Amino acid sequence: METIIQTYQLTKTFKDATIIKPLDFSLRKGEICALIGQNGSGKSTLFKMLAGQLRPTAGDIHLFEKTGRDVAQARRRMGFLVETPVFFPDFTASQNLEYFRIQRGVVEKKRVDEVLEIVSLAKEKRKRFKDYSMGMKQRLGIALCLLSSPDCLVLDEPINGLDAEGIREIRNLLVKLNQEKQITIFISSHILTELQLLATRFVFIKNGVIVEDVSKDSLQEKSQKQLQLTVDDTAKTAQLLEQTYVDIQFKVLPNQVIIIHNHVECSGDINRLLLDNGVSVSEFRIEARNLEEYFLELVGGHGHD
Amino acid sequence: MINYLKSEQYRLVRKKTLHITSLVCLLLIVAAATVLYYNQKADPNFPYATTRFFYSNVIGSGGLIIIVSFLYNFSLTGKDAALLKNAVSFGISRNTIFWSKLFMTLSYFLLISVLGIGLMIGLGETLMTSDSQSVKDFLTALVNILPIVFSAFFLIHSLKMLKVGEVYIFILMLLIFVFSGDLLRILFRPFTSLHEVYKYAPDTLLHENLLNFMNHTVQFGYQHWITGVLLSLIALLIGVTKFAKQPID
Repeated sequence: METIIQTYQLTKTFKDATIIKPLDFSLRKGEICALIGQNGSGKSTLFKMLAGQLRPTAGDIHLFEKTGRDVAQARRRMGFLVETPVFFPDFTASQNLEYFRIQRGVVEKKRVDEVLEIVSLAKEKRKRFKDYSMGMKQRLGIALCLLSSPDCLVLDEPINGLDAEGIREIRNLLVKLNQEKQITIFISSHILTELQLLATRFVFIKNGVIVEDVSKDSLQEKSQKQLQLTVDDTAKTAQLLEQTYVDIQFKVLPNQVIIIHNHVECSGDINRLLLDNGVSVSEFRIEARNLEEYFLELVGGHGHD
Repeated sequence: MINYLKSEQYRLVRKKTLHITSLVCLLLIVAAATVLYYNQKADPNFPYATTRFFYSNVIGSGGLIIIVSFLYNFSLTGKDAALLKNAVSFGISRNTIFWSKLFMTLSYFLLISVLGIGLMIGLGETLMTSDSQSVKDFLTALVNILPIVFSAFFLIHSLKMLKVGEVYIFILMLLIFVFSGDLLRILFRPFTSLHEVYKYAPDTLLHENLLNFMNHTVQFGYQHWITGVLLSLIALLIGVTKFAKQPID
């Protein structure tokens, strides 16, 4: 499968601080890859280097298997939205996109209206950019990305400022673009639940280093469900579990709580086992870790973007 | 590069402030001519309603022309520079951006300058007392000013592209184009062999040019071109080299 983005030992240093440590990363055609990390982890720096806004201190970037001077040409097959979208404030949405249509050599004039329609801004196309809400500005940024019919989208916080309906629309749009037009997507967002609904691959970055790179299936496996029980006798419960399931993994927590990490599929049997042996179960719950919990566990800390 | 130029043209023609500035400049010329003309009508001994005096306002306003060139330059390198990231991320080279913006702003500036000069000559020759040499001397003096104004334009462009603040640009322009003659004279006073260097300073040359124009002795000045070309090359070299490595975000 074609590799869309490939970095070799990509490094970025600002004065004495190394923001991106030698980083090897690849993105293959058709993937929707989520880049997840805390503030200052190096996400935007990586995006900016891919976009050519920042020059790498060391390492190499290959886009569509092109490198060196050819990378600029390869960027024409990509749409970048890095941080906040910027347009001429005194231009309308149409005028702004027309400016970029001319600049990018897009021959079809109607393409401007098409992309405005795609991002649901067709009715607002005569409004000046400075009068747009944050969400509308974000949509226009996405419209610009789509203007030259790219094969790959690199989106840094594309749903920033959108309301719930807007987020859903953009998510559906991205999924549609990926499935129908095979557009590869590399995306970051602080709304991890959205990424969980959208992405097929998750890359976790911490202090400029990729600490985890997992597929959706693998992530689901890793963030597998667990059983949470509240019982009257934790010692007896532990004994029964160990006798019945040799490889059982569980933790006894305060307040008579027991967390069982495996054999979740045997939840009915476990419940029956305890009741049959006189253990009173006041709470029996199946829990799954979401992406946010997995993220916090992986990169630590509380804040993230 | 053609596409980028076209898009910048699209932007430029929709810059209302730029057209207003141009209109104000042209109206000021008309206003100056009208004031001189009516003063002459009111007082036949009024000594300033001559083409030579009228044209000397341009020859002697090198600083003002540089300020106007700053305004034109600012039209595509001011706040609009924030959009550069969109162009760079589409693979448009920094070189293309640098030269296209320079070409567009300079072309517009030259167009308005030619219109202004045409308007001045038209008004001057119709409304004022003219001597036979004034237009020829005016054009010769303008040819002398041209390289220095160009160098100022290039320097402003380079500094704007490098995101240097307006105040710093203004101070630097004052130093180079207003005070450099005096500064060089003081600086090189102890060195006999460098005594004459100040004569090549932009402000000294502009001042000389005005005096020669008023004295009917203006000639093509190669010194103006040496200084102008040298300053232009330095400004563009610094601009292109540093902009190529400039983070754009």
